[in-house]
Amino acid sequence: MNAVPPSASAEKPPFLEIRNVKKSFGGVRALKDVSLTIEAGKIYHLMGENGCGKSTLIKILSGAQKADEGEILIDGKPTGAVAGDLGAIGALGAGIETVYQDLSLLPNLSVAENVAFTEQLVASSGRLARRLDLATLHATARRALADVHLPTDRSFLTRRTDTLPLATRQLVAIARAIASDARLVIMDEPTTSLTRQEVENLIKVVARLQERGVAVLFVTHKLDECKQIGGRAVIMRDGMKVTELDVATHSKAKFSHWMTGREISETRYRTDPKLGDVLLKVEGLSKGVAFADATFELRRGEILGITGLLDSGRNELALALAGISPASHGTIRLDGKTIAPQSAAEAIGHGIGYVPEDRLTEGLFLEKPIQDNITLPILDRLKNAFGIISAGRARRTAEESVRDLQIVAPEVSAPVQSLSGGNQQRVLIGRWLTIDPRLLILHGPTVGVDVGSKDTIFRIIQRLADGGMSVIIISDDLPELLQNCDRILIMRQGRIISDDSAVYLNEDSIYRAMAGHTKETI
Amino acid sequence: MSDAISVSGASDQQRSLGRRLWDILGARPELFTLMLVVATCVVVIIANPDFLQMSNLVDILRASVVRGLFAMGVLVVLAAGGIDVSFTAIAAFVMYALTMLVINVAPDMPLVAILVIAAAGGAGLGALNGLLVHKLSAPSLIVTIGTQYVYRSFLLTFVGTALFMNIPAAMDNLGKASLYTHVSSNGVASALPATVLVLAVAALVTWFILERTLMGRAIFAVGGNPQIAERLGIKLFTVRVFVFAYAGLLAGVAGVVHVASNRLANPFDLAGMELEIIAAVVLGGARITGGSGSVIGTLLGVLLITLVSNVLIFVGIPSTLQLFIVGLFILIAGTIFTLRNRG
Repeated sequence: MNAVPPSASAEKPPFLEIRNVKKSFGGVRALKDVSLTIEAGKIYHLMGENGCGKSTLIKILSGAQKADEGEILIDGKPTGAVAGDLGAIGALGAGIETVYQDLSLLPNLSVAENVAFTEQLVASSGRLARRLDLATLHATARRALADVHLPTDRSFLTRRTDTLPLATRQLVAIARAIASDARLVIMDEPTTSLTRQEVENLIKVVARLQERGVAVLFVTHKLDECKQIGGRAVIMRDGMKVTELDVATHSKAKFSHWMTGREISETRYRTDPKLGDVLLKVEGLSKGVAFADATFELRRGEILGITGLLDSGRNELALALAGISPASHGTIRLDGKTIAPQSAAEAIGHGIGYVPEDRLTEGLFLEKPIQDNITLPILDRLKNAFGIISAGRARRTAEESVRDLQIVAPEVSAPVQSLSGGNQQRVLIGRWLTIDPRLLILHGPTVGVDVGSKDTIFRIIQRLADGGMSVIIISDDLPELLQNCDRILIMRQGRIISDDSAVYLNEDSIYRAMAGHTKETI
Repeated sequence: MSDAISVSGASDQQRSLGRRLWDILGARPELFTLMLVVATCVVVIIANPDFLQMSNLVDILRASVVRGLFAMGVLVVLAAGGIDVSFTAIAAFVMYALTMLVINVAPDMPLVAILVIAAAGGAGLGALNGLLVHKLSAPSLIVTIGTQYVYRSFLLTFVGTALFMNIPAAMDNLGKASLYTHVSSNGVASALPATVLVLAVAALVTWFILERTLMGRAIFAVGGNPQIAERLGIKLFTVRVFVFAYAGLLAGVAGVVHVASNRLANPFDLAGMELEIIAAVVLGGARITGGSGSVIGTLLGVLLITLVSNVLIFVGIPSTLQLFIVGLFILIAGTIFTLRNRG
């Protein structure tokens, strides 16, 4: 199991070593004695279910939190602070850059400022009464942006980052790491919202980082990508490091087992579907340049997958069905009745529930209790004779959902942000189930959700369909679609190019259809 | 099918022209403020060509100085994602207490010393705002409403309420000093007040801080997203204390300028100006939610507010209707700026 030749490490100490780090929050022990060595130019994948302690570990490494006990050594030397309190500037100064899921880009600042400001801040040790060196700022930004193959002209440098597409923003965040001469780049689920092509591009950038001796630590749920990238897997469970090994040497099932402590099958969840009559009939649905002439049917109790690249129009089609961004032409017939939902409220009235992809910004009120989040669409029904919301009924409805969807929560009055990603997602699904939808549209239902929670969410989806609900899943997680759907629509450049039963499809054939058989595929 | 494509292509191009203008406006919101200023001037000039007299222009400049000083402070606080409504109370406190101090203790105190004390006093009171905002992690609107009342009430209860009609010589000289005196053909002399220089210096310093220092970038970063800014190693405490102290500093200086220009220290003055100043800054393109804004835009916003409140009388608009116009401008600007953000 010792893939690393001992000679090199014997002479030069590893870049980073953490020893016996412990951390508790109140009574909860988030990290129970974790040790980890990170060597220059190597790639690591930190894996584990939500709540296993990996986020805490990342926060300690990036200086955002302080460990209770333990040591952090950089280049074999202790970092001074006994309990490994690096501090944000300390961690950055040591060359540890963290690209969080939100990318930590400042939306209102320019690309150049986002990329190269940290460098100047580190140079001044965080003191702010210093001249901003614009020439250096732009020079550094240019150099780093060139490294990730982004434009380096003035108009790009001065563009506000919130005007950029997500994949570009991610590269900007990586360019920032390069600009500050990072020696370790930590990426927190970097591929969550990227299309496959963008993921390929990211992997290339990572390879270049590795060539210059930069270590990369991925925090990830996606085993396929880990295997594609290669490197070492560090698996955590319950605040402990379970094992560390080469990703190439073990099967996906084995990894799942280590992470969850139980066996999870990779098999199809969809078995023995009971399909009813046609519920939804979409004909010639179009909207500007986003999508055109979408025609398909959906039966009661059927699960339909829709996939395609980010610009394929799949998202826009979903939003049109949900009434959020109405279509311009074509008809939608629900239960034989033609509808043209112009708003989400209207779609809800027709019994169409839509669970958005980005549960953090589009769906949930994080600081509000679970109860309020779940009962939001049915406040009307919870009113008593005086028009006042009945707290008891709201509570009972929420408790029912929590039980039904196996949401792990202390009580329904707890804020949603105290839950793990998988449980937050279930709260969102629970909200839409309160309206008893005939059609439930799930957009990326397991984005950023760990293996164990995925399993639970898939079982819930199957149960709903068995109960006669029609479900549409929009996703680019192909295994997810293949495991759950009866049929899969593939979209490309605004058109549905394939409508086929899932059992006849596989990941490879779908991906080739999505990308349009071009040479650059895989 | 080729027809469909060419049609959509044409409409795309048509849109792109308007789109481009829209984008320019998005990047430089102060251009819209400039348009409003020009439009207002054109309307006034057409209605009454007498407006173009030097004396009127000088009056507008004179009336812009105190507003401008306040607005620079508000701009910096807004850019960092905060809001300050206590600056008028700080200015009133500093101007009145300082006038009293100079008259009773050191009547011959030179102007420089007076300005330094005013700046330091204002900065101190402002820093207290920043300290409270950070330590209580309370919304700055609430904190500064609180301190506004505390500062004002403390001033009126423990310092005094009597007007000072004879202000110290140094302040008096500042108020009288002029950079340039213009005598028009009809014999009316109008003097460009030296206090305009104070605003010019304040605007330059504010521009330098915001655009050319690490503090400036840190201010915008905190205004953009404080959690991310902190993660990048920016100390929120330093930034918050700085912006409120800076707003306080400018408020202190504005207080002295106000006394000098009016030749009178009235502790009841300046109260109620807060919203008008914040409106001016927002009209200048700064977002109330933080993370944006420019010195030039803010100056234009101040100019616009001053224009509306000083010169609409020339077109026969009664003073009671001025607020209507200001309100309309704010609604228009607010709508435009919101639309541009949705893009």
